[in-house]
Amino acid sequence: MSNVIAPPSVRALARQKGIDLETLAKNLGRTSIAREDVEGGGTPTGSASNDASFWDVDHSQFGPVTEEPTSRFAQAAAANLGAANALIPQVTHHDRADVRAIEALRTDLKPEARARGVKLTGLAFQAKALACALREFPTFNSSLSSDGKKLTLKGYVHIGIAVDTAFGLMVPVVRDVDQKGLWQIAKEISDLATRAQNRKIRPDEMGGASMTISNLGGIGGIGFTPIVNPPEVAILGITRTETVTVWNGETPSPVPMVPLDLSYDHRVINGADAARFLSYFAGLIAEPRRMLI
Amino acid sequence: MSDNHADLIVLGAGPGGYACAFRAADLGCNVVMVDPRATLGGVCLNVGCIPSKALLHAAEILREARHGQDWGLSTGEISIDLDKLRAKKDSIVEQLTNGLVGLSKRRKVQNIRGSAVFTGDQTLNIDGENWTFDQAVIAVGSAPVRLPGWPDDERIWDSTDALELREIPKNLTIVGGGIIGLEMATVYAALGSKVSVIEFMDQIAPGADPEAASILHKALEQEGVTIHTSTKVTGVKASKSALELQCDGAFEGVIKSNAVIQAVGRHSNGSLVDPSAAGVKIDEKNIIDVDSSCRTNVPHIFAIGDVTGNPMLAHRATHQGHVAAEAACGHAAALDTQFIPSVAYTLPELAWAGLTQMQAKEGGIAHKTTSFPWAASGRNLASGGGDGLTKLIYCPHTHQVLGATIVGRNAGELLAECVLAMEMGATLEDISLSVHAHPTLSETIGFSAERALGTLTDL
Repeated sequence: MSNVIAPPSVRALARQKGIDLETLAKNLGRTSIAREDVEGGGTPTGSASNDASFWDVDHSQFGPVTEEPTSRFAQAAAANLGAANALIPQVTHHDRADVRAIEALRTDLKPEARARGVKLTGLAFQAKALACALREFPTFNSSLSSDGKKLTLKGYVHIGIAVDTAFGLMVPVVRDVDQKGLWQIAKEISDLATRAQNRKIRPDEMGGASMTISNLGGIGGIGFTPIVNPPEVAILGITRTETVTVWNGETPSPVPMVPLDLSYDHRVINGADAARFLSYFAGLIAEPRRMLI
Repeated sequence: MSDNHADLIVLGAGPGGYACAFRAADLGCNVVMVDPRATLGGVCLNVGCIPSKALLHAAEILREARHGQDWGLSTGEISIDLDKLRAKKDSIVEQLTNGLVGLSKRRKVQNIRGSAVFTGDQTLNIDGENWTFDQAVIAVGSAPVRLPGWPDDERIWDSTDALELREIPKNLTIVGGGIIGLEMATVYAALGSKVSVIEFMDQIAPGADPEAASILHKALEQEGVTIHTSTKVTGVKASKSALELQCDGAFEGVIKSNAVIQAVGRHSNGSLVDPSAAGVKIDEKNIIDVDSSCRTNVPHIFAIGDVTGNPMLAHRATHQGHVAAEAACGHAAALDTQFIPSVAYTLPELAWAGLTQMQAKEGGIAHKTTSFPWAASGRNLASGGGDGLTKLIYCPHTHQVLGATIVGRNAGELLAECVLAMEMGATLEDISLSVHAHPTLSETIGFSAERALGTLTDL
């Protein structure tokens, strides 16, 4: 028996449109479905009213246009992002971390990295530091039930890596990051990212992450507000490291720092927790030795 | 290619078959409907639902007349003209089957009287003539189960024989206390037979709510019907003067009868059209498995109604008929409901749909029940109605109505509100806030909902 409440006429309309009511209800975070939900085509638009009429515009009246269909892949991602943005009360907390120690370590290890054939990236350090932080703050490694009545705390640390590909955004997952060394993490991230570009990621290599990292450092920017990837409760955004002036008492000194943006589900995490979490994370980046402790 | 070709051939002109044929014709199909009966309408119209309802109406008139004395209205001894009663029943059947011929003609559906058998997955043989089809629908219904080992005796009737109203036997025994058996008990007890009902299970109307079934049980006993539950017939002896049924179980002994009705269920007629010749799978009980669009394992051949198994009910067949017709015409259609009503048109009627308390318990489904006794219904008392009960099963968290059972006068009609409520996902609040006219029996549904919500002021 279906758990979704919908009148027979709405069930018939959904059938004609090829819309699965269970999936639609899940996407809308609801237990009952009305005619309007199905008439909207079953895609949550992210607005509370689901009024899609703003988009019904003949753009060609303003100048020449061309049209191309969106891929199924992009449609799935859009539905997911729309639902995440509509359903999760999100806040983004900003901080930055001193990367001098990591940069020094990377320079020292360059010959070994070359020998191993692995590029030891900043992202590998960030993934490892995030794994340590998730062990320290278990609430960030959790998921809320759809009715909001239960929090599932995860006994594992898997980290999703958002990858920009030619056909859309993909999030492959590195498993058990807390139990792996930096060489291994760096190798796996590189392998997953390469295969994502070639669309060679298996379904079981996605999903089930504790948190996701979205790293735009290689492209640029000084900060952004990433959208939490449900059912996770937080996401870490990273932009390009810049050298800022840090005052050490009376003395100014140039310090390379990486901007950090932590978006979180406010139903699960409070602002103070987010500040502590990101501060702890920044501390690990500044002093990577502490990841060992 | 033969000239005998149809877009869609519907085998069977019962409530499923004609609904399917007519719907397909309305959707632009060229339709042929085949049935061996001289008249359209199948078992339902000819020897089932409709004639039995005509006889039950006669039973109700008799009962009302007899109870008139309580109201100071005496009719004296009532005489029954069996020929006239039979003619009245037959005229109602004739009116309806003729009506179907008109509906069929208007839609240009070609009716063939004959028996069809598949000869391939696109070919049929209809009484020696070969036909080809693009799609076909198997809607050949069911027939009463004949108990094995019983003698051949014309005093042993099935439901069809019972509806022929040959005579009013002095003593009549009905084997099977399901819906058909109980309706026949109601009819013949009113006509004056001394009726006994033998049921194998521990209650009459097995599957129905036991509390509701016991109200019907008592009412039937008050009308002179003897009921033996948990009892099995172990042997039958036919002597010149009577049929002797050897009974075992809760009742042990011999029941002597002038006639016996076998009402132990119905079996699918599926094998009559040899569906395996078309590659359609049929099981050992002659049931044809279909998906929610009524397609068999052969995608262009559909099956609807009793050949698709339980519940073998005309209204299920009708809905399946529409689904099959629409699916055959390329529409996205499916029968997706758990709310197919069951109704015993006895006096009083017993009707239910959705989950019973028992099913909810067995399925581990969170539920509560609420009910309203008809002894507290003004309309029921003012109409001389007997005992009755309205009972709702609902989800304790959402108050959504999950099941309904009603026993009492017109229960079958009253159930419609509950079915609509359940299809719409209505809650107890929805029902209690819908204004029910006073005084009506339908109030008992609103009262049941109010009782659960603590807002009832009529108890």
